[in-house]
Amino acid sequence: MTYRRYELLQDVAPVLDGKVLVICNIGFPSQEMYAINDTPNNFYMLGSMGLSSSIGLGLAATTDKKVVSIDGDGSVLMNLGTLSTIGNYAPANYILFLVDNGAYGSTGDQPTHTSGSTDLAAIARATGVKSVIEVNGTEAVGALETCLTTEGPHVIVAKCEPGSPKLTPIPMDPGAIRDRFKAAVQA
Amino acid sequence: MTSISTQLLASLKDNGADFFASVPCKLLGDMIDLLGADNSIGYVPVAREEEGLGVCAGAYLGGKTPVMVMQNTGLGTIVTSLYSLGIFYNLPITMIVSHRGSPGEPIGTQVPMGRASKPLMDLMGIPTFNFSDGAEVAKVGRLVRHAQVAQRPVVALLDFDFWGKG
Repeated sequence: MTYRRYELLQDVAPVLDGKVLVICNIGFPSQEMYAINDTPNNFYMLGSMGLSSSIGLGLAATTDKKVVSIDGDGSVLMNLGTLSTIGNYAPANYILFLVDNGAYGSTGDQPTHTSGSTDLAAIARATGVKSVIEVNGTEAVGALETCLTTEGPHVIVAKCEPGSPKLTPIPMDPGAIRDRFKAAVQA
Repeated sequence: MTSISTQLLASLKDNGADFFASVPCKLLGDMIDLLGADNSIGYVPVAREEEGLGVCAGAYLGGKTPVMVMQNTGLGTIVTSLYSLGIFYNLPITMIVSHRGSPGEPIGTQVPMGRASKPLMDLMGIPTFNFSDGAEVAKVGRLVRHAQVAQRPVVALLDFDFWGKG
């Protein structure tokens, strides 16, 4: 069976549900999380590609709750400095969940550099992140469960295949996404 | 006499600021030292301005009142995220921006972006206020409240003269 980001997110959504604040990356990842399990604990990025990891880091610094940033290989390659900031400043409740499918999924699956010679887990380790876990997609649930029950910060690099189902844009306006999520952080 | 950076940080905090991200500038050296030594605030030094905007957005979602401290050259790299995150989600982020290229600037290459900074922010609809007198430091701090009222990022452009280095 083809195991893409969508199947991976279907598997991890129950682990996240109700327990974790989730920053959902721009484009298909947000659309997929919305379709799989829309909850007030999800913040949907509608723009600002590259900043999922940064938004999650800022949030994690302000709350004791667990924060998971769902990011992608193409996105984190646009903001590689974020890994050095995570390596030096991310708090223990922060998890960067990198879905690495080697492709710019939302723009038509053009290859990213991770489909070539670039190793995101090695980069994350080199920035000083102590806990970096690289797994095949089907093992991502177990890795995430481990990270949610141990002191972080953690970076998970979950490998999967490119490709995405056809979904529609999220029908929430940005103010509604913001206000619902802000309330969920304080709940 | 209390330094201008000490006064500025105190004024920002008096107006509610409690979380900071920064990218360095020569003019911001004292400010960044103060931020790193202040245990009463959240503080994350970042590698690039766009990243800092994301960190500030996350801190706002977590209930904090964030301030991005940066140089005006970074206004050029932050444009798309200011639109698609700061403006689109109506995030009140105060941006304390050192104004390289203002009178007193020793480096010619800083002048073009210095000239473009306010017109660029005006074009974007970002409320932007230029200060060249350190005696106006309390007005700069009030921009934290203005960002809440305006419900969007606001910019303080602080000239060499503001820092007493004109």
